[in-house]
Amino acid sequence: MRKMKAVYLTMALMLGAFSLAACGSSNGSTNTPEGTATAGSSAEASAQPSAKPVTLTFLIPNTEDVTPYNLIFKEFEAKTGNKVEVQALPGGDYDNMLKTRFSTGDFPDVFLMQPGTKQYVKLRADETLYEWSGEAGVWDNVIDTIVDFQKDTAGKAYGVPFGKTGMMGVFYNKDVFEKAGVAAPTNYANLIEIAKKLKGDGVTPFYEGVKDGWPTQVFYLTGWVSQVDQEIGDEGVQKLNVNQLKLSDIAALKDLFVKSKEIKDLGLFQKNTLSGTFDELQNELGEGKVAMAFMLDGILPQLEKKFGKDFVTNKIGFFPFPTATDTGTAMITPPNQLMVPSKAKNLEAAKELVKFMISKESVNIFYQSQPGIPVFKDATSELYPMQQTVKDYIDQGKSKVNVQNRLTASFLDLGKILQNFHITGDVDTAIKEMDANYVKDGNSKRLEGFE
Amino acid sequence: MERSKYPLYFSFPAVIVFLLFFITPTIIGIYYSFTDWNINADAIKFIGLENYKELFNEPRLKQAFINTLIFAAAVTLLQNAVGLALALLLNEKLKLRNLLRMIFFMPYVIAPLVIGYIFRAIYHPEHGIVNQFFGLLGMDFMVQDWLNDPRFALFTVIMTDIWRVAGFSMVVYLAGLQFIPKDLTESASIDGANYWTRFKHVVFPLLAPAFTVNVLLAMIGSMKVFEIVMVLTEGGPGYTTEVFYTYIRNTFSSGEMGYATAINMLLFVLVTLVGIPVLLAMKKREVEM
Repeated sequence: MRKMKAVYLTMALMLGAFSLAACGSSNGSTNTPEGTATAGSSAEASAQPSAKPVTLTFLIPNTEDVTPYNLIFKEFEAKTGNKVEVQALPGGDYDNMLKTRFSTGDFPDVFLMQPGTKQYVKLRADETLYEWSGEAGVWDNVIDTIVDFQKDTAGKAYGVPFGKTGMMGVFYNKDVFEKAGVAAPTNYANLIEIAKKLKGDGVTPFYEGVKDGWPTQVFYLTGWVSQVDQEIGDEGVQKLNVNQLKLSDIAALKDLFVKSKEIKDLGLFQKNTLSGTFDELQNELGEGKVAMAFMLDGILPQLEKKFGKDFVTNKIGFFPFPTATDTGTAMITPPNQLMVPSKAKNLEAAKELVKFMISKESVNIFYQSQPGIPVFKDATSELYPMQQTVKDYIDQGKSKVNVQNRLTASFLDLGKILQNFHITGDVDTAIKEMDANYVKDGNSKRLEGFE
Repeated sequence: MERSKYPLYFSFPAVIVFLLFFITPTIIGIYYSFTDWNINADAIKFIGLENYKELFNEPRLKQAFINTLIFAAAVTLLQNAVGLALALLLNEKLKLRNLLRMIFFMPYVIAPLVIGYIFRAIYHPEHGIVNQFFGLLGMDFMVQDWLNDPRFALFTVIMTDIWRVAGFSMVVYLAGLQFIPKDLTESASIDGANYWTRFKHVVFPLLAPAFTVNVLLAMIGSMKVFEIVMVLTEGGPGYTTEVFYTYIRNTFSSGEMGYATAINMLLFVLVTLVGIPVLLAMKKREVEM
């Protein structure tokens, strides 16, 4: 019996020792001063091999194409010896999953986030995120307007821009337009005429992904820059930011709901709007069964996967949401941002990775894989024709950043509100709900003017 | 016969676990439902009944309340009807009795999330087997967009859940049927009672405890429905299948913890208010053998 006790005791001690050893060397990610670059080091300096390689975790929503990131990480691994593990989380729950991980202390090393300083509020940036404003080797190559966009009112930047200037508007199948003998519209009434003509020819004019919820929002967001911004101006947006203007008091916004209802009543959407999905939208637009879709440029890599690069280059066209009198304003979205939690396990190596990602070589790898309007001064990117269209609008001063990126409070549950609107067709209820949810979100975020 | 008694302290571990993991969080939850707990706020303030006032003015919660009650009533009723019918059938001497029992019980052990994903494919408007089946039969009027049409969405979710849980009710009723002494039904047969009369006057009254368990569990479970709705419809289209927990999830997601806890408390009160009278009524009709 005594012998057995001794055996158990020895086993217990061994187990304890093993587990302590495991804790000590867990993931091999402990930073040593030798293994990390200094904060002010440049991307080139960061490419030095680390003395003790670490594995960094990089979080990205699965709605993003991971290909360019993997290519960049491959280079990073070759140069530094550090590995990057990509974790693609479900896009719809990305924010919630991220917040959950933050609240449980399960921080990634680097993560991709949607643009806008509203994300700083959402993530309580001053407590949780590394602050980049004064960081050397980060801002020199970023276009000035994008640098400004990145800073909050106190001039602090908790994210580093990465990616391309995005766009939302109307994507159309050029072949379908050609067959019907129509061209990009000159104003909104003309757009409806074109849609009617297409319907007459047996083509579904517009596709609406109501089941997925988010695609339905694009109509209102693109319509905002062409229509609502003209009514309320930048001052109006500032008033919305501090809750001095009600969404339900904006006539041009209400008119967007009326316009959407009109399209539905005229039968210009596909048959089953309520079961419409983003995936089916791509198929129908690509196959020419549908002529147009109010969409964001995230559709391009998807179409390229399904129908090839030539198809996207030659057969897909783009135009902004037209106004009553002209072709409208192009809605652009700033690039995503890279963020590093201040409590990241491998903070220094994570900063190194971010700097490597925004180095000239890396951004060019990105643009090669995902051509788009660059946000870095010395980057080169081959643009799709529709991206050139938007660039032309930008150059002519006829572009505006998505209002969602200019506001701190969000249009909470807009997809759901629009789903309901598609069922009921009740404009007043929808806009009232949109307004109530916006105020609720501002209040929930404890924003000035909302409490 | 004297019943053997165990010392009271034998129950202490269970009581401690229950107090620690069930009662304490509930009390804490009650407290937080009276606060403005929010992930964006630095401090948590006591705000009295504010959350409750707000939630009574929320039309979306009203819709969730109605849907939850419809869902609970339909599932409780049909789950028990189908479960009882299956139990009676599989209590007979059938060749494949055990295999059939297993087949009908199997959905219950599959995670609701998995069932949700499978049924999403089954109900797909074009490629789903439900519509293809009706199409093959030439019943085109039955070809519907089951999950995305506001007229059918809630009904479809209800039917899916009944398919999932009817096997559980069947097992409970089967257990109840095993406890009914054979001589009672046999003597009724000798007295000339047909199947229906035997069921009505002998089997049904003696199955009362199984009914109590089944009805209560079905009712409480269906009022707390979440996963199956979430996967199949996410509470949509619009708010047509919104239930308490999909709404609670939504408010938790937006960081309104205090408000979400208040909705949880409301659901707790609702389940209690519905559950206790049902329990008392059903207990009353139980027959001691």
